[in-house]
Amino acid sequence: MTYSIIARCARTGRLGLGIATYSLVVGGRCEGVAANIGICKTQAFPNRHNDPFAIKLLADGYLPARVMEILAANDPQHEYRQIAIMDREGRIAAHTGPRTRGWSGHLLNTDCVAFGNGLVGEQVLTGMIEGFLADPATPLEYRLMHALEAGRDAGGQGDATTHRTERSAAIKVVDRNDYPDIDVRVDVHPIAVDRLREVLDEYKKYEIFYRDRGRNPSQAIPQDVFVAGLKAAPPK
Amino acid sequence: MTYTILARCPRTGQMGLGIATYSIGVGLYCNGLRSRKGATMTQAFVNQGNNPFALRLLTMGFTPTHVLRELQRNDPDHEYRQIGVIDREGNAVAYSGPKTRGWSGHRIAPGAIAMGNVLAGEHVVDAILSGFTASPDAILEHRLLAALEAGRDAGGQLGNDGHLTERSAAIIVYDDADYAELDIRVDLHDHAVDELRRNYEEYALYRGYYTERGKNPAAAIPQHEFVRTLPVGEQPA
Repeated sequence: MTYSIIARCARTGRLGLGIATYSLVVGGRCEGVAANIGICKTQAFPNRHNDPFAIKLLADGYLPARVMEILAANDPQHEYRQIAIMDREGRIAAHTGPRTRGWSGHLLNTDCVAFGNGLVGEQVLTGMIEGFLADPATPLEYRLMHALEAGRDAGGQGDATTHRTERSAAIKVVDRNDYPDIDVRVDVHPIAVDRLREVLDEYKKYEIFYRDRGRNPSQAIPQDVFVAGLKAAPPK
Repeated sequence: MTYTILARCPRTGQMGLGIATYSIGVGLYCNGLRSRKGATMTQAFVNQGNNPFALRLLTMGFTPTHVLRELQRNDPDHEYRQIGVIDREGNAVAYSGPKTRGWSGHRIAPGAIAMGNVLAGEHVVDAILSGFTASPDAILEHRLLAALEAGRDAGGQLGNDGHLTERSAAIIVYDDADYAELDIRVDLHDHAVDELRRNYEEYALYRGYYTERGKNPAAAIPQHEFVRTLPVGEQPA
């Protein structure tokens, strides 16, 4: 039981993943986000080899649709996997195995795929896509956050009788570098999407300070001084 | 203001990192581990290009000493960096740039580096290394956690206005696969090392189930049923 969105920002070419699930520490199993290459996320009963393998195939020049065929041919348990793949141009392939559990499916739209299993219904994916598309001018990490919040608000995980909370969540965004641009996580929490919003908003206050500190260290103020400034005059 | 243990397990060859810092979301910067290749971390004033670059150099066959030299020559602000590099044989080198702030330094043991800056003193890195080497037969993630807790208990970070708490922390372990065997984080917390221990203990209950579920899905019970097999005190509300 998980709901996720993979997406591309058409303005900047940044690529990103947002994910929320009942399982713990999901962000520690999201390595398939590669700058200038693409994204692959395997979930439900995940084959951990899929994502790094798919990224190598995308980097070699395989199209997402062909990568999916190769993943299928390479995995006797493909029917248990749920997989979404996007390349850097926004080409998409998605697979929801017939043996994934609960309500399970994927929804494609321009530059994004929402996909999930163990969900209360398709309205979760519809909500995620609407959340993602609502404000195309905003940075990708916020669009992914909106998508997760919309998925949560549409009912998230569960079935006709039971709701299952999000216990971990993550957002990862890559730009042009071979290290992530945004990588925020909540690994163990009773309402992880709510907490992820708090972590993201807090991190965004520091993002430029952290980046500039490394790139231009002789100009950097100590962090405790920066934090005191934040407390005195919080950013709007 | 950060303290870190970087290590290779001599029994398994696993590469591992434990880190705790006043900065938030530190896990974002911890992309310097690769199975059977090495482990590296750049901290203090971070050059984010260093970790992936150093890993590629290790993969090409550069020794850790030579990797450090290349990082130096490739970075006009090298003196602001604190860097550890370990290769797959456990050869370890570290560098604490003269322009890193506060008490800043490192200790090296076979296959392990303790390093930090803006610390309460040299005894913090000594404690981290002692915490790591105390139980050589334990699994690597337990040794990394013990090292961080020893660093915390030795006083951790000390800023201009006194002790600085750990606001984020992470433990990462790579085994043979090209994905992390363990990658657990606390991105924002008032006592991140304490919270990391709690999260780790909880995750440890599920780890085997998650691994098995992916490898053998036909036999997997649903997670909400698995949860009911946990000890009563460990079941989520």
